[in-house]
Order: sequence, then C-alpha cells, then structure tokens
Amino acid sequence: MNSKWLIALLTSAYALAQDPRQIMEEVQKRAQSKSQQYEGTLEVVDAKSKVSTKRWEYSRLGAFGNSKSVLRFTAPAEVKGVALLVHNHPDRSSDQWMWRPAIERDQRIALQDRSTRFFGTDFSYEDLEERDVNQFDFKLLGEETIDGKPCWKLESRPREKKVSQYTYSHLWIRKDNYVYTQIEAFNKAGLARRIKYTDIQNIQNIWTARTIEVFDATKKSRTTLKFEKLQYNVPLDDSGFTLQALRRSS
Amino acid sequence: MIQLEKVSKRFEGKRVVTALDSVDLSITKGEMVSLVGASGSGKSTMLNLIGGLDTPSSGQITIDGERLSGLADDDLTRVRRDKIGFIFQFFNLLPTLTCVENVSLPLHLRGWSRKKAEARSRELLDLVKLGHRMEHQPDELSGGERQRVAIARALSINPPILLGDEPTGNLDSTTGAEILSLIHDVHRTMGSTILIVTHDRGVAESCQRTIRLKDGKIIGDERRSTAA
Amino acid sequence: MTLLRLISFQYVRKHKLRWLLTLAGIVLGVAVFVGMHTANQSVLRAFHQTIDRIAGTTQLQVSAGEAGFPEEALETVQNSPDIRVAVPVIEASVNPGRGNLLLLGVDMTGDRSLRDYDLENNNDDAIDDPLVFLAQPDSLLVTRIFANAYGLKIGDKLPMATMAGPRDFVVRGIMQSGGLASAFGGNLAVMDIYAAQKLLGRGRRFDRIDIAVREGVRVEDAQANLQKLLGTGYLVESPGARGQQFESTAQIYSLVSSITSMFALFVGMFLIYNTFEIAVSQRRSEIGILRALGATRSQIRTLFLGESVVAGLVGSVLGIAFGLLLARGIAAYVGTMLSEVYGVAQNVEDVAAEPWLLAAALFVGTLTSVLAALIPARDASRVDPVKALQKGKLQLIGQGENMRRRIGAIVLFALALGCMSMSYIRPLFYLGYLLAIMAAVLFAPTACNWVTRTLRPLMKWLRPVEGALAADSLIESPRRTSGTVTALMLSLALVIALGGVARSSYKSIQDWLVIALSPDLFVTTNESLTSRSFVFPPEIGDGIATIPGIDLVQMVRTVRINVRNTPVMLVCTDIASVARKIHLPPREGDPDTMYQEAAKGKGVIVSDNFALLRKYKLGDIIELPAPDGPLRMPILGIVIDYSDQQGSILLDRELYIKHWKDTTVNVFRVYLQNPTFEPSVRAKIQEMYGGRTRLFVFTNQDLRAYILKLTDQWFGLTYVQIAVAVLVAILGIVNTLTVSISDRKRELGVLQAVGGLRNQIRGTIWMEALAIGFTGLVLGLVVGAIQLYYTLEISRTDVAGLRLDYQYPINIAAVLLPVILGAAWISALGPAESAVRGSLVEALEYE
Repeated sequence: MNSKWLIALLTSAYALAQDPRQIMEEVQKRAQSKSQQYEGTLEVVDAKSKVSTKRWEYSRLGAFGNSKSVLRFTAPAEVKGVALLVHNHPDRSSDQWMWRPAIERDQRIALQDRSTRFFGTDFSYEDLEERDVNQFDFKLLGEETIDGKPCWKLESRPREKKVSQYTYSHLWIRKDNYVYTQIEAFNKAGLARRIKYTDIQNIQNIWTARTIEVFDATKKSRTTLKFEKLQYNVPLDDSGFTLQALRRSS
Repeated sequence: MIQLEKVSKRFEGKRVVTALDSVDLSITKGEMVSLVGASGSGKSTMLNLIGGLDTPSSGQITIDGERLSGLADDDLTRVRRDKIGFIFQFFNLLPTLTCVENVSLPLHLRGWSRKKAEARSRELLDLVKLGHRMEHQPDELSGGERQRVAIARALSINPPILLGDEPTGNLDSTTGAEILSLIHDVHRTMGSTILIVTHDRGVAESCQRTIRLKDGKIIGDERRSTAA
Repeated sequence: MTLLRLISFQYVRKHKLRWLLTLAGIVLGVAVFVGMHTANQSVLRAFHQTIDRIAGTTQLQVSAGEAGFPEEALETVQNSPDIRVAVPVIEASVNPGRGNLLLLGVDMTGDRSLRDYDLENNNDDAIDDPLVFLAQPDSLLVTRIFANAYGLKIGDKLPMATMAGPRDFVVRGIMQSGGLASAFGGNLAVMDIYAAQKLLGRGRRFDRIDIAVREGVRVEDAQANLQKLLGTGYLVESPGARGQQFESTAQIYSLVSSITSMFALFVGMFLIYNTFEIAVSQRRSEIGILRALGATRSQIRTLFLGESVVAGLVGSVLGIAFGLLLARGIAAYVGTMLSEVYGVAQNVEDVAAEPWLLAAALFVGTLTSVLAALIPARDASRVDPVKALQKGKLQLIGQGENMRRRIGAIVLFALALGCMSMSYIRPLFYLGYLLAIMAAVLFAPTACNWVTRTLRPLMKWLRPVEGALAADSLIESPRRTSGTVTALMLSLALVIALGGVARSSYKSIQDWLVIALSPDLFVTTNESLTSRSFVFPPEIGDGIATIPGIDLVQMVRTVRINVRNTPVMLVCTDIASVARKIHLPPREGDPDTMYQEAAKGKGVIVSDNFALLRKYKLGDIIELPAPDGPLRMPILGIVIDYSDQQGSILLDRELYIKHWKDTTVNVFRVYLQNPTFEPSVRAKIQEMYGGRTRLFVFTNQDLRAYILKLTDQWFGLTYVQIAVAVLVAILGIVNTLTVSISDRKRELGVLQAVGGLRNQIRGTIWMEALAIGFTGLVLGLVVGAIQLYYTLEISRTDVAGLRLDYQYPINIAAVLLPVILGAAWISALGPAESAVRGSLVEALEYE
C-alpha cells in the first residue's frame, strides 16, 4: 500500500488556471498540509448487494513526498489492530510494512505488489496512488457540470516511464476550488473504474471530499470511503511512525 | 460262471449306435469259448462288458455269482481284480517296468507284500518260459515274449476267468500258435474259464465253443468236443 | 494364417483350460512388468505435476536444502534488477485427520502474479475478506475437491495441531478445480506464509522463493546472476530441474522393478515353453498328417510360432490390464517412500502408463512367448511324418541335446564366476548375475532328472506301483516336467533371496536398535517419525531438561541435504553428549577419537551405508551444502547406522546452527535418571507443553516397535513372493499333470483293468505332483542360495548400502516345504479326478 494515495485522495483543494498543466499543478498545490488525521469508514457493496464495512484510524506526519503515515484498522473485530506503516521518500519509492497482531509479525510489502487490488475493495493500489503532475500529459477536453458545479474536463495519459494499468483517464476538476469531482479510468477494454468525489467541504482552508465512491465497471461492485474527524496540521510525534511503535500499541 | 441276460449296449453320440442288442448268453465254469464276428459286430463290446471295463445300457451280467449291475466303480474294480485276468492284443505292458514288476502289478494293487508278490511273479514267468527275462523291460522283448508276460500278469491273481482280446492278433502265425498253446495249457492245468475274441479261424476252432456275433446279436453258438 | 485358424484354433478350443493357464504365465510376467514400471512412472509424473502446478508461471526457484533459509534472502532476490516478482513459499505435508494435505504457505499480496488461485465465481470476494484472511492466522484456502470430499463450506472449521498449540483453521476461500487446485490430487490448502512459519515452528525462514524474471531478461542470465548474488549455499534452478533430482532416486527402484519383472517374465517363459512342448507332443500325429499332406518344415514351425505370437499378444493385453490394477497399490507404496526421502509431498492421482510402456510390455510379452516357443516349434518341424502316424512311443529328448545343455550350463557358470571376480565393474557384475541364472536354467532339466531318479527308489518303496509309475512318468517325459520345474525353481529362488535379505536386515536392524535407541523417551512433532514438516524451537528442550528425574536431553535436528546429487540425512546433535551414551559399532576409524574430534567440529561421522552407496572412504572430504557456502568436512569415522536408507551424516549441532542459522529441533532424546520415572516425566512434559504446542512423546519401546513394524513390511513382501511361487507351482503342475494323464491314459487304463482302485489311480497322480513340487523345491532352494548372494550384493552396493551377512533363510525354506508340497497336492486334485473319470475302454483302445 502506498501513502501517496492518501494524500491525493483525502486532501484535495486546487487552484485556478486555464492551461491543463497549470490546472493540475494548482490542484496539487492547494492540497498541501503538514499533517493529517481522520477516522475512515469503508463500505464495499458487491454485485450481489453484499455489504462489508471496515473502519480505521489514519495519521500522517510530514509534507508531501516526504511523509510518514500509519493506518490502523479498528473494526471489524477480526481485523482489528492490523496496521500499515508507510515511509515516503522524495528520491525513491516508499517503504511499507504491514503489522499483524495475531501472529505478532511485521511484514515488508514489496514494490512488486503495488499494482494489485487493495484488500477486496474496488480500489487498486494504483487508484490510491498520488497522481503526480509530472508523470502525466494532460489535455483540456472542455467544460461540464457535475453535481451542479462547473468543471473542467481533462484527459490524462501516463508518460512512458509511468507504468499503469490504464491507457488514459478523464478527470473532472471543479473550477471554483480546484478539487477533483470525478475520474473515469479506461483500459483497452473500455471503462474500468469511475471514482466520484462528493461531500466536498472546506476544512482548515483545504477543500476536501469527505466521501469517495469507486465503481468497478467490470465487477459491478461499489466501494464507498467516508472520512470522519478529519483534521489537518495536528501536532504529531515522529516516534509514533516506527515499527516499534506499531508493536507497542497492539 | 458268466451269465448275460438281455444285455444291450448303446453308444449315444450324434446318432445312437446299438453295439449289443438284448443278448442272452451263459458260459459255464471251465469252458473255453471263442467269440467271432466282423468288425463292429459287438464282440469287443461284449468282452469289455463281461470284464467290467464298461457297463451295459440295460440287462444283467453275472460273474461267478456276482451281479455286476449297480456296482460302484471301485466294487467293479474289485470283482475284476479278484476274478478276471486280461490278455490284450497290444499287450498293454507298462514300458518303464521290468517283467517281474509288470507281472506283480495286480498283486501290489491288491496289497500283497513286496516279497510275496515278487516270488509269485517269478514263478509265473518261469511258467511262461521267461525265467531268463525277469529283469528286462518290455521293449527289450519280442512280441511273443511280451504276450507271455501279459499272460503271466493275467494269471498272477489266479483268476477263475481269463479274457483275451485278440491275443494273437498282433503276432506272426508261429508265435501266435505258441501263445495259443500256452493258453490251452493254462486252461488245462488251471481249469479257468476262458473267453477269447478273435478274427483267426484257427484260434476260434481250437476252442470247445464258438459264439458268432453279427450286428450286436448272437447268430451262432457252436460246440465241439475236440480240443487242440 | 489359414493354418493357424484351421488347426490351432480348434486345438485351443479343445484345451481351453490349459491355454488359459499358459496365458497366466505371460499375464503374470507382463503384469509385474507393467505394474512396477507404471507405478514408478505415475509417481514421477505425479511429482512433476505437483511441482508444475504449484510452480504456476514461476521461471526460477531459489532453495537451500530442506532446512530452508533466512528471510533476508528474499529482499536480496527482490532487489535484483532481473527480477519482476519474487515470492516466498513454504511447503509442508500435514495431516489434519483428513488424509495428507499439502500446505502451501504463500504471500497472498504478491503471489497472484505467479499462481492463479482461480477462486470460485471468478471473484476475489470468494476469500470472504482478504484483510480478514491475512489478519487471522487460521485462514485457509482449500480446493473444491478437498471441500467436497469432506463437506466443507466457507466458514467451516478444520482443527489441526500446530506448533502454537491446537488450532481451528477456518476455510475462508475455495479454489476452483484445475491448475493449482489440482496439484497433489487436489489435497491442497493455501495459507499465509507468515502464519505458516508460526504454526509449523519454522522461525523466520522460507523453504523457497519463486521467481518471474523481468521482461526482456533471459532466464539463464537471471539464473546465473542470482546464483552469483546468493552464493553456492543456494540453489537457483528451474522448477523442472527439481524433478530431475527425484528421478535419480527413482531409478534405484526402477532397477529393483526391472529385476523383479525380468524374473516374472522368465518364470512365465518356462510356463509357456512347457505348454508348447506339451502341445507339440500331443499334436504329433496332427503334425504328421500335415506333413504327409505336403506341409513343409518351415510351415510347421511358422504355425507354432504364429500360435505363440497370438498367445503372447492375448496374454500381454491381459497382463497389461492386471498390471495397471497392480500399479495402484505399488504406486501408493513407492510414492510414500519417495516423498519421505525427498520431503516433497505428492499424491499419485492417476495411475496410467505411458503408451511406450504399454507398447514395450506388448512387445516383451510377445517376445517372451515367441522365445519360449522357439524350441518346441523347432521340435515340431522335425517331427517325422511316418513315425508320427504310427502309434507308439514318444520321441524323447536326444542325448546330444542334453549334453549340449549341460556343457552350456557349465560354460555359463564358469563365465559367471569370472564376472563375479570382477564385480567391481558393475555391468560385469550384472552380466554375471544373468549368466548364473541362465546356467541354472540350462542345467535345470539335468538336475530335474537327477532328482527324480534319486526319488524313484524312495517313491517305489513308499508305493510299489503308484510311486514307481509316478517317478517313471517324470523321468520318461523330461519335456513335460522340466518347464514347470524350472519355473518353480526361479520363482522359489526369488522367495529365498528376498527372505534371506529380510532375515539378515531384520537381525542387523534389531542389533542396531539395541545400541542406537538408548534414550528412554523421544519427544517429536509428529506421529509419523519421518515427517519433518513441523519443528520445535530449542527452548522447549531447555524446558524439558528442567523436569526433575531427567538425566539428559539431546536435541536432534535431521534434514535432508544433497551430497553428490542424492539426498542423504544430515543428523545434527550434540556429539559429545551422544558419545557419552552411545557408541555405534565402528566400521572404520578410531572409535574413541572420532567422537571427540567430531564433537569439536573437526569433521563428521558417516554411516556405513552412506559410505558404500556414495563411495566415500575414511579421511575423504565431504562437501555439505550450507546456505552460507559449502562446508568441507573430513570423514572421521564410518559407523553402522540404519537411521536412513539413503545414508546419514552426523554433524555437531553447533556447527549446524552456525552455518545453517537454524536452531530448530526435530526430536528431543530424553534420558531419565531412573526408568521408573517414565510415567511421571511423560505426564509432566504433556502438562507443560501439551496444550501449547504440537508434541508427541514416545517411549523407547514405542519407537522400537515402530521401526520393527517398518522392517516387517519386508517380510510382507516375502509373503507376496511366496504367494506368487505357489501360483506358479499350481499353474505349472496343473498344466503338466493335465498332459501327463492324457499321455498316460493307456497306462492308467491298464492299471485299472488289472485291478487298480480309484484311490490308487489318484495316488499315482498325486505322487507325480508331489515329486514335481519337491524337485522344483530342491532346485529352487539351491538356486535361491545363488540368487541370495546376488541380491545381497545389489542391495549392498547399489540400493541400500546395507552390509548384510549371508544367512540362508532356513525358516523360509522350512515354510516352503509344506506350502509348495501342499500346493502341488492341491494342483493334483483336479487332474486326478479327471483321470479316474474317463472311459476305460477308450483308454485301452487308444493311444
């Protein structure tokens, strides 16, 4: 699991510009913060309308690209205590560890595994990654209104170096506050996923979507992510973001 | 001594062949009888029935007062063993045994002791003038000598009845004559009842009585007083 | 072909029973051949399949012997630029009370790029919740086959004793059949690898790393680079290469199978020879008529050879069918044995022969039949039409032929002796073995004649008429009897050899047990002492040592390692401590210093069978493949030790821990201060650890009984052989007697005409049968002595490395006497009845 996805997903507030690249840079700039904390609820509804719910606590320390974060599941009981520790590095890929209290084991997550699906949700690891402006080429396709808000519609295509399961994506960015409202990701077979950002609020001057919904077009299953008790720039101690800390707190 | 009442023998194959057709015959003790007829007239069948080698399809055979019909296989064998000596056309000696052993065969089968059986055999071989051939095997003997061994074997148990199936049939005429005279000697000295199946007119006529068979029926029964 | 249909078919139809019996000879040989080889093949195929199916799209595998290697190696591999995916694997064969289950520990996050788990509904959600699967160490993914077999659904529990105590495993996913799910016959379960480490007591170690290389990188290059990166302690190879190693061990069993099936075919050959000899003699007049009508010699020969081809084909087909049935049983046996040796679980799911084997069986069966018919066919072609049409004596074997055979036998035997003196050249040794058997076969008719001639006075004395005639029947018709006697001789020789090996090894193992198994208690992780899937942490041993009444606890770690490409057992323990209690009988080396030096880690002590099989001498340097590079150790001593069939190497535990970085233990050997403490100590161990870990306590007696039970299986094999010998005896004797009574029809008729009772007629047939049985027995016991010599040699040098004393199995011979005579008598019952039943008139009139 990658921490960048958290930044991209959970801290969205974006600036204004007409050039597609400038728009995206502004989006990224407006989402910046020193630290963050929230409690998340994840709801997966599969094609047979079976619902499964999980909850976790999340905290991040450090600025974009050089942060450390801990995600710890709190519910349901079977998964309680399972945690993910991420150390981001500006110059190389992040280090990730999973902690499992039942076998008292930490486990490194290898780089090779980050393109797979994330624990039975409709997110792939890639969907959860930060979409760094420098890894894509953008094209402005026009303007559309989503949920009553005027948006820019852009197309993004991964640059050669970026390995992606998608051939291209359509992005909808709100004109008023530079926040994502929708992403449609396509692969060779057509539409793969649609991600909707709703319940967008201004929290501590950062426009943030409080609800994200992913729809898997092939599996017809839907995952909803809700953020509660969301706070930016809370004081956190560096010692809470180590393997030892994971072990202690379980 | 030998009594046949309405004896018939049928062979059931793809078609039924009647070898003997309701034959009545009586042979008294000490008689020497020849049985003649063409091939297939039923003479061998009659001899086999009398010898207990075969059982009649119907009718009654009595040998020395003992009725054969209804006897179990082993009981039939016992009658044969105690009362009948066989002389065959092809001698039927066992090739791996010596003359003495061949002659003592019936005695051993009756459970005689080794010593007694051997003594008796030697005695009999002397009698048939084969004292010098005691330890020889049959294939070292001439045809006549073999038939003498066979006669010695037939006599070994001292049977009241001797049955001969073409005893001279496989021998040249001189040897045949020798064997015939030996049989007459036996008849004379031991008083056995003798029945001989033969093709040979001379052999037949040397007997006191000749029975003629045709198609399973007796067509002639001729007695003569002369003995050869 | 027309002749065949017109003449032969009629004859066969008239003698159905005899031809069936003859076919039985081929059926037997071909069945053994097909059975043993099919079993071997199936086991190998199952092994390859399991490897392939588990490997998925894996291109390379990293391993370091059975003890595995520390986790750190994974990161080293993953960081190599050649590698796209590298995932760790632990494989273990466990028994959750539902048969053997192959447990595959994998890292579920990354593993799917190599293996397709084919979850049902084609839906990842079949693992009810992947996060739960990981969070709960009791999570298990099973196959549809396994789930159906035991009625399991998602959420059901499967209890299993683990090193972390008894656990209820929960089925959290079901894999669809096919691919991975069909590996190991579908008896497969997947769990998280880190949970597996914990539950199997493996510590932070993996068994294997499965690898896919990056696109554009050649597999060979990646292999070479990885090997350089990891060092020689690790093995980097393709999944297929693992199977090749296994094949080399399987070859040994293949050798044994080949010898056995060769014997079976040989025996079959003589049964066939016998029948054809008989057929020729019975059909002499028919042959005479054919010849008189203008058939040439070669036409007559072709007729008989044609019959033998048909008989061979029919018999082979039946034999193949029986062999395939037989293969199931053998496959299970070989499979268990090989998986024990290799520690690679496998399950022989479909026992099927490869087409070439079936073709070979058909060919070999038919060839055997044709070879067996060669001499009879030649005899048939030499029948003189004039003599054949006359009634009279049978033609006997010419003296010249007998003489030629005898000379041949002597020459072959001399050659065999020559080969024996050069038996260090293995092909010559095996050639000598073959020559010795051939010599015995050539000499058999002569020996048969001698024995029956010797028997005649005895038989005549017993029963003047019946006995003498029975003996004469044998003496006069050597062709009728010698085939049967030879077949019986060969089959009994095999019994004697096997019995002798069993007897000697049983005794040797018993002696060894008394010395080697001196501890009072053995604490293991498994009921089956040979399974090494679960291991103890050393702390348990320390804990046990604190129990009052215990004198000494020895920690033993046994792992299979590859030495000179074959798997041998590395036994690691505190040698100083062992030496205080046990001195295994030394074969070479100074018994006092070898233990002292080995305890100091200056070398190893190896078992005699290891030294013999792998050709090592005292003072030689062995290269032990340790994960941190090869460990070179001199051989300080060679001792007699039967711990392992492949050979064992005794290494000091400290050295093992240092180089393998593995502190785990398979067995704690516990000595008590006083034997009477046993129940209390046992109870205490159970109390301390019973609920916390997986643990079994065996007493010295338990273990001894267990090992002797394994050894007893050898005896089981001997009994099977005896059964086969009895079958051969019955087949052969019935066949011979059937012909004998038809040949002796006239003789038996005369016997009855002059007053022989039924029982007397039966008596002579019985005596003939007993004489055949006895003759075969005498010859078999003699040839068995030779066969035993060769079997011991083969087992010593090529199969097991067991140096066994030559001990003739008198007890087996004593059992065989009544058994074979009994079988002979039983075979005579039927023919004897038919002898007394026939028409007397016919018997006396006809030839």
